[in-house]
Amino acid sequence: MKNDLISMNDLDLARIESYLKLAHRVETMPREERVRLLPGRVLMVMFYEPSTRTRLSFESAMQKLGGGVIGFSEIASTSVAKGESFSDTILTCERYADAIVVRHPKEGTARLAAETATVPVINAGDGTNQHPTQTLLDLYTIKKFHGQVDNVRISFVGDLKYSRTVHSLFQALLKYEGVKVNLVSPESLRLPKYLKLSAEGKQLAFDETEDLRAALAKSDIVYMTRIQAERFADIMDYEKVKNAYCLEARMLADAPSHLKVLHPLPRVNEISSDVDGTHFAGYFDQVESGVIVRQAILLNLLGVMS
Amino acid sequence: MNSKHHLLIPKIESGIVIDHVPAGLGRSILKLLCSYAGMAEAQITLGLNYESNKLGRKDMLKIIAPELPETILEHLSLVASGVTIKRVDDYQVQGKYSLQPPDHIQGLARCINPNCVSNHEGQASARFTRLGETSHKFRCGYCERVFELDELAIVLP
Repeated sequence: MKNDLISMNDLDLARIESYLKLAHRVETMPREERVRLLPGRVLMVMFYEPSTRTRLSFESAMQKLGGGVIGFSEIASTSVAKGESFSDTILTCERYADAIVVRHPKEGTARLAAETATVPVINAGDGTNQHPTQTLLDLYTIKKFHGQVDNVRISFVGDLKYSRTVHSLFQALLKYEGVKVNLVSPESLRLPKYLKLSAEGKQLAFDETEDLRAALAKSDIVYMTRIQAERFADIMDYEKVKNAYCLEARMLADAPSHLKVLHPLPRVNEISSDVDGTHFAGYFDQVESGVIVRQAILLNLLGVMS
Repeated sequence: MNSKHHLLIPKIESGIVIDHVPAGLGRSILKLLCSYAGMAEAQITLGLNYESNKLGRKDMLKIIAPELPETILEHLSLVASGVTIKRVDDYQVQGKYSLQPPDHIQGLARCINPNCVSNHEGQASARFTRLGETSHKFRCGYCERVFELDELAIVLP
């Protein structure tokens, strides 16, 4: 039976931890050894939505393992523009590749791809729902900085309503022990009710606030997000909140010294560039973790390492 | 049932009684039953707004049919969970139970998230999974959003 990576809801804690352990093994493996792991294998990247980091990160991961990458990053030049159904596109593309990475603006599309394809499918973001590879790399980064995920105090800041990286990571954190979450956002961008409901009966404790400064003082990790203009139906609603939070170096003066700032990137103005040079900045290390974790995911789903 | 009810909605010799229907839901149940082609010939009596110790006011349906198919019962459980289904034979209630929603819903309801792929791709037939044994919350199998049972958009056949 093939394996897919579609949602954090599908993974139990043991499975998550096995991905993180495999990522650690990959990271410590000599480069020349890594490049011999997936020769002749082809990865299909199907991006129905713009992406730089996730797509390049998958391409880098596959090439560093000795495999090749084909695909598209906008639909104008594909048969989709001619009216081909999503399922037909999947049934065709899977004949060219050993695994598929798909990003799509509609929620649940990666699940449909996985049900349609006979090769492993990896969700690289489906609407505002899930982004499991980002979540695994976030967990890997948190573990690197904090030593463990259990008992971490994490503040999610910004667009908690539409950010799939937040939704995905929040659901993963429900599986750990003693996690404390601060949800910092304007009222109009609060975490959706259905996600808060999923915390019922779980060990995770969360608070909602609009006060970033207060949250910084009681955080080990601050997870900043971009307010995503493209998710707003009414641009006026975006204008009201677009500058809600801007983290500057001076605001971190009283923060715990071990605090790390993460961000799925790209950023606009929610983290000032003066944070980049401080020891609080963790977001570029997070980018590097992305390639390592995605190598682990590819190796696992293609049955090369477990 | 008191004598007043007997006058309004007589006993049936054999068939199915749907009792303890919250007042106002009776018409929706009738509409759902009548939407099934197999029920086109069935004799159905609908009673509205009876006094009820349990509900204050209640509706009731009596159906002269040997049984209700499983699909119809499942469909009914989505719009009227908690109603009582009674099987009547020889004017006597032979068995009754409280109708509860199923653990899995497939093809009977639509996801209300307009951005869910199940509302855009014909291959993705909406399906939902109950979150717990006694829960009335369901997770969409595609967009993964959690909805209360009464939030789901019920699809008529």
